[in-house]
Amino acid sequence: MARVTLDALPGVPALLARAAAPSLRRPDADHAVLDRTVLVHGYRSEPERLAAYARVCGFTLRDALPATWLHVLTFPLQAWIMSRSDFPFALPGMVHLSNDMTLHRGVGGREPLTLEAGAMNLRPHTRGATVDLVGRALVDGELVWEGTSVYLAPGTSMPGEPVQGLRLDAPHVEPSQLWQLPADLGRQYARVSGDINPIHLSPLTARAFGQKRTIIHGMWTHARALAALEGRLPDSFRAEVQFTKPLSLPGSARFGASESDGGTGFVVTNPDASKPYLIGRLGRDAGR
Amino acid sequence: MAAATVRTAVIVGGNRIPFAKVGGPYAPASNQDMLTAALDGLVARFGLAGQQLGEVAGGAVLKHTRDFNLTREAVLGSALSPHTPAVDLQQACGTGLEAVIYVANKIALGQITTGVAGGVDSASDAPIVVTEGLRRALLRANRAKRPLDRVKALASIRPRDLAPVPPAVVEARTGLSMGESQAITTRKWGITREAQDELAAASHTNLARAWSEGFFDDLVTPYLGVTRDTPLRPDTTAEKLAALRTVFGRGDDATMTAGNSTPLTDGAALVLLAEEGEARARNWPVLARLVDAEVGASDYVTGAEDLLLAPTHALPRLLARQGLTLADFDLVEVHEAFASTVLANLAAWEQAGLGVVDRTRLNVNGSSLAAGHPFAATGGRIVATLAKLLHDRGPGSKGLISICAAGGQGVTAILEAM
Repeated sequence: MARVTLDALPGVPALLARAAAPSLRRPDADHAVLDRTVLVHGYRSEPERLAAYARVCGFTLRDALPATWLHVLTFPLQAWIMSRSDFPFALPGMVHLSNDMTLHRGVGGREPLTLEAGAMNLRPHTRGATVDLVGRALVDGELVWEGTSVYLAPGTSMPGEPVQGLRLDAPHVEPSQLWQLPADLGRQYARVSGDINPIHLSPLTARAFGQKRTIIHGMWTHARALAALEGRLPDSFRAEVQFTKPLSLPGSARFGASESDGGTGFVVTNPDASKPYLIGRLGRDAGR
Repeated sequence: MAAATVRTAVIVGGNRIPFAKVGGPYAPASNQDMLTAALDGLVARFGLAGQQLGEVAGGAVLKHTRDFNLTREAVLGSALSPHTPAVDLQQACGTGLEAVIYVANKIALGQITTGVAGGVDSASDAPIVVTEGLRRALLRANRAKRPLDRVKALASIRPRDLAPVPPAVVEARTGLSMGESQAITTRKWGITREAQDELAAASHTNLARAWSEGFFDDLVTPYLGVTRDTPLRPDTTAEKLAALRTVFGRGDDATMTAGNSTPLTDGAALVLLAEEGEARARNWPVLARLVDAEVGASDYVTGAEDLLLAPTHALPRLLARQGLTLADFDLVEVHEAFASTVLANLAAWEQAGLGVVDRTRLNVNGSSLAAGHPFAATGGRIVATLAKLLHDRGPGSKGLISICAAGGQGVTAILEAM
């Protein structure tokens, strides 16, 4: 498997521009080969950007990094892979279906990280095809965080039986929080995360890419949900989330969580709690 | 109500983040971030995760209105049980020590058996206030029932109203900054430049020695990459300080410089307290007990007395109640708002017949001139430092704390090693 080492995390805007360019030579989904890992060594979080990320998502600024921040750090590498001409799908229009991350131990903001991303598991889906973008963070060779983002390429045809993705049941719980999401939240999150996908930035750019309204990044909603559980997050945990519906801006959402022996179930819904935007489950680290 | 037995409130330990100069590494951090960081470290040090404590008392001097529940919010963001109640207190630079006294009193009365006390301040993330004209106009517009009234209210805003008002450490009734007030006191009490620079240099030397000896290893948790107080200059000397130009006071006899005044600082400090039996049952260290405390206030508004010499009112009452003199204390901690504040307080105590403080017992591990002074965090820093120093000296060692505060107030307290 090819391993490509970059000098630094790539800039996402150029990658997105490249990924948006119509490419006639993209391989068919069923012929694509995804044997590539891209990585950077010695990355240290920039305190100012981390602080801004913590503010936008509702985290306290601590020495330990939010688990979702480690996802943000691997996102440019994901974008790098998805912008290659041999990647089978065009990045714009891909839908983030679910995410599954495990924090194996608390990671300090000053620890130099090796960040990796790779793509795998091309599968047929009832609405097209899905692919897993896998990220890892290591400190001196020790795996401290890993995450899998499942993306759907809608309308792509791929032979084979559609494979069922992550399906979580929303906890039956009265929502306990009300979140107000300002119209510019997508731009705020884009600044701190580097994910400048146009559907998150403004109504105009969202419409240009087929959305009726601006929608907030799924990973903001994920981060905000973990921030809501902040005082209860253990040093290591696994968090799985399913993005069930886009959450439009400006808007409001409710959050509820329910603890049981098996972990914590949580849900982000519309104000009358009739439509979940995100369903999540927080559990124990199953090991490296 | 049955008469309560007075119980012994002891200091178990403390935790603070290193203090950092304004606009430095903690600039992106809010008061809540820093207070939570200090609490996280305390929780980790004493294994308090998931535990319900009696109460957490803290505060900040420069405080956003959104932070009305600052301490409770820090508790909720920490690993402490969410069933741990919290309270915000504020008494300018006396906040941290007052919080310790508050928790110790509740422990003494048997209302709680464990508690955390301290404070936080960010001079970097200080609230910017709008002008009074803009504030009143906005409130009027908000109250207006008819659109026309709203327009009228907003039309009353003048361009000069739009300038933000940065926070200043200025006394409301005198309009003088802390430094300008102290410059008056410095001159009145004849405190020389040399004496101030010597005291400042000693603060740096002593704090540097304490850091290099590892004294703070179990009192400080690094935060955002800062591992030591950033105002500290280990190699400064009275000679180097003598070269600085004066910043407070007017005329040729001005003596106060940036070197013998505390810098604006960001930081947080907390102390863990417990009822003695509870601490022993939990196998917690029992460093020192809080013996007594007294707060005094001075008549400074018309210049009859000095703004920062209020401890001189508190101390005689405290010593008389305990039957002690200054000579009975093994260690004395006088908060170094300015070097001349310490020296003027010592002179005033001597003049009041309280005796002389042995300078070899004063601020032996440095104080605010070297560590910096995040207003509400200073009390927690001093209490934890002094409790550990006294404990190292052995049971029965006595220590005195004196902290001056804005508004012409002074908080004093006595600790005794267990």
